[in-house]
Amino acid sequence: MVLELRKVSCAYEKGRPAIADVSLSAREGEILCLLGPSGCGKTTTLRVIAGFEPVATGEVYLEGRLVSSPDLLTPTEARRVGMVFQEYALFPHLRVAENIAFGLRHLTADQRDAQVQTMIAMVGLTGLERRFPHELSGGQQQRVALARALAQKPVVLLLDEPFSNLDPDMTGRMREDLHNLLMHTKTTAVLVTHDHDEAFAMADRIAVLNNGRVEQFDTPEAIYHTPATPFVADFVGQADFIPGLVQNGKVVTEIGEFPNQAGFQGGTKVVVMIRPDDVHIAPQEQCSARILARQFRGSENLYTVGLPSGHVVHSSETSTSVYPVGTPVELQIIATHTVLFEQPESPRGSGGTLAFTPRRGHA
Amino acid sequence: MYQAIRQPLPISLSLVSLATAAAIGLPLLLVCFMALTADPSVWSRLWNTRIPELLWNTGTLALGVSLGTFLLGVSLARLVTRYEFPGRTVWEWALVLPLAMPTYVLAYVYTYLLGTGGPVESIWRWVAGPEAQVFSPHSFAGATLVMTLDTFPFVYLLTRAALLNFNVSYEEVARACGASRADVWLRVTLPLLRPAIVAGLSLVILYVVSDFGAVSLLRYQTFTYAVYQQVTGRYDQTAGSVLSLLLVLFALIFLLAERWFRQRSRFYQTTGRYRVPARKTGGAFGSLLITGYLGLVLGASFGLPVVLLVQWTVSAAAEGTVDPRFVGFIWNSILLSGLAASAAVLLGTPLAYLASRWPSKLTILCLQAAYAGYVLPGPVGALALLVLFSHLAPFWYGTILVLIFAYIIHFLPAGLQTMEPALQQVTPNLEEAARSLGLTTLGTLRRVTLPLVRGGFVAAWVLIFLQCMKELPATLLLRPVGFDTLAVRVWLEASEEYFQLAAPAALLIVIMTLPALLLLVSKDWRAA
Repeated sequence: MVLELRKVSCAYEKGRPAIADVSLSAREGEILCLLGPSGCGKTTTLRVIAGFEPVATGEVYLEGRLVSSPDLLTPTEARRVGMVFQEYALFPHLRVAENIAFGLRHLTADQRDAQVQTMIAMVGLTGLERRFPHELSGGQQQRVALARALAQKPVVLLLDEPFSNLDPDMTGRMREDLHNLLMHTKTTAVLVTHDHDEAFAMADRIAVLNNGRVEQFDTPEAIYHTPATPFVADFVGQADFIPGLVQNGKVVTEIGEFPNQAGFQGGTKVVVMIRPDDVHIAPQEQCSARILARQFRGSENLYTVGLPSGHVVHSSETSTSVYPVGTPVELQIIATHTVLFEQPESPRGSGGTLAFTPRRGHA
Repeated sequence: MYQAIRQPLPISLSLVSLATAAAIGLPLLLVCFMALTADPSVWSRLWNTRIPELLWNTGTLALGVSLGTFLLGVSLARLVTRYEFPGRTVWEWALVLPLAMPTYVLAYVYTYLLGTGGPVESIWRWVAGPEAQVFSPHSFAGATLVMTLDTFPFVYLLTRAALLNFNVSYEEVARACGASRADVWLRVTLPLLRPAIVAGLSLVILYVVSDFGAVSLLRYQTFTYAVYQQVTGRYDQTAGSVLSLLLVLFALIFLLAERWFRQRSRFYQTTGRYRVPARKTGGAFGSLLITGYLGLVLGASFGLPVVLLVQWTVSAAAEGTVDPRFVGFIWNSILLSGLAASAAVLLGTPLAYLASRWPSKLTILCLQAAYAGYVLPGPVGALALLVLFSHLAPFWYGTILVLIFAYIIHFLPAGLQTMEPALQQVTPNLEEAARSLGLTTLGTLRRVTLPLVRGGFVAAWVLIFLQCMKELPATLLLRPVGFDTLAVRVWLEASEEYFQLAAPAALLIVIMTLPALLLLVSKDWRAA
């Protein structure tokens, strides 16, 4: 393991979300994403790895070497971590080449120049060596920040929301470039983001954080298809939760029966998670479900369908399937796996959060 | 800026502001004109006798004070922003107090402290033997010490603000690149603070080259002192104007430098997520060391002088040696300063209003002209008015009118800086909204415009008033015969080394300057 966090907790301080019992690990060359809403502790976790925050309990290992524990805080400069900040933090008084060379003081001048040239070529900034940061576009600034962090051949590269300052149409290309670069240089990386699309596109494994705890640490596919908690289910994509009852080894809901894969006892009240791509609709006069709204999204139509009970499900249809609002439709559920959660005792948790007891059902 | 229905430029206001700008710009032009049309022999005589010495003295003093204020200002700013120790917030405020001390007051206290047989010499002889010498206050070292202690807060304030706004990511990323703490400070933090530090140092230098009070009491020959001597001792106004022109150029360079670096520093503060920098705690010993250092600096620059002034005032009162005309001096000071402040605010309003509401080349030029006072050190402005009035309006010469004119030229810029932002927050939209709600022009003025600008205008008035209270060189040169102010009395008594007699007036000036200082600082404080 290049990077390992064992049950790391951070004391709460003003302005810094606390984290509790965070355990993570990354193999060499792996790209890890810390995903979660703002204030969930993902940036704090990154800063713990960098050595900017001390830990209250637990340990952090870099290349098998203990670097953080309650009694030990190896200073950042001795950790060999590369850091790319959200706003890049390029030194405004230094030129591009000087920024990239900043961490290469231990090399001779010749070695340093060679390394800088290699990095500049690698991130595609040839010709801009003499520019100052303010003379670069956002994308170019990000490349310089990357080159600066990678120049010292870090043990692990830490990226704090690296795409949030870029134009949306720029982001896609930069994501691809960054992914290629990390694969090419076999760099182990930890990337913080609040955007699940970004995490899915970049990560080998994702840790979803909420309120300072890891809710799930798994591959992007597993996170999406078999979320461990309702929070994860909701955070990584559109999800509807339909209540049901376990009867005769099946989960009975108003939109049909599902296998009781999580092995709940008979009589248990549960909810079934449904994603829009699991639901297909077809107009059918006698049906009581009706289309409430349609959102055209270019590549798809997203339908909101109202059920007689008042619950809604969403359905993703092809771009050309256009039905007017109010159309009665039949629902077809085409799920290869069913995700079930136990229904809470009280109707719903307070403050709009989903308060379910996590329980996982596998296909 | 959004501009809806354009009203025509009000003619009467324009004329008033044009006249004001002309009147304020005139003295500067006059000095330049006199110097440039002076007989070449005057130039060559001065070049062969005075100028090299004055350039050297003024230049080295500026350099020495820059070095001193740089060391003090930056180290103090770093201590209060990056370390945690008992009473930190109190120290943070207290370190600006030396700005309340007019240079001539500090100079006169140090004349006593460092003088022959003074306390510093006694202590030094007790430590180093009976023949040991301390440097004289009437020297380069003395002048540098006094000016450094008086002006380091400029550097301290600007550096502190920059450090508080500092994007900590720069330091963190530098450490991730393997730089040690010392490395980070030298290679990243200091270079990024450079604009703020240079802006502070430019202010310091501007202050030093235009200071008259300290250098005259310490008898250290700089341009301001030389101009004063030409005007009073030799009655040579041409030579005075030549020296003045050089002085104005000197000041202009540093004023422009300050402006330029201030803008750059705005540009350097790149956006970023703001994170409070972690403060280090030095333990009991560290805290003691820090407190000792801060105490030494603040004691030397403010604490000790104030204690001495109080002591002298008390003993002067006890011995009954306080000048019986003392109340008269206070009245003179208040009368002059009050009139000048009121006139400055009245004249400044159309200037600032027109420039913000009808920005055109002409209105902005008028506003810029009003800032001329910044590069007209006291003696130079006084010289210009002397010539102007003795030629154009000799019957007014020697009245307090001339003096008030001098004050306005000198302190209107500081007032305008406070009035301009106040006026700018009254956008045309606000007034139009009031009109759409049924208010008349006058009603709008009373219920919308005035309440919005009142705070800024009162602040401007107070600032100008208190600056006038401590003004020295123009008052010395232009006051009507027998019309002494507090500042003039301090200087006159202190020149004769009557320390006790000077103390009550000096103490009063310091106490009265404090509110203005708090006003100034609290503005900067919020911005930081």
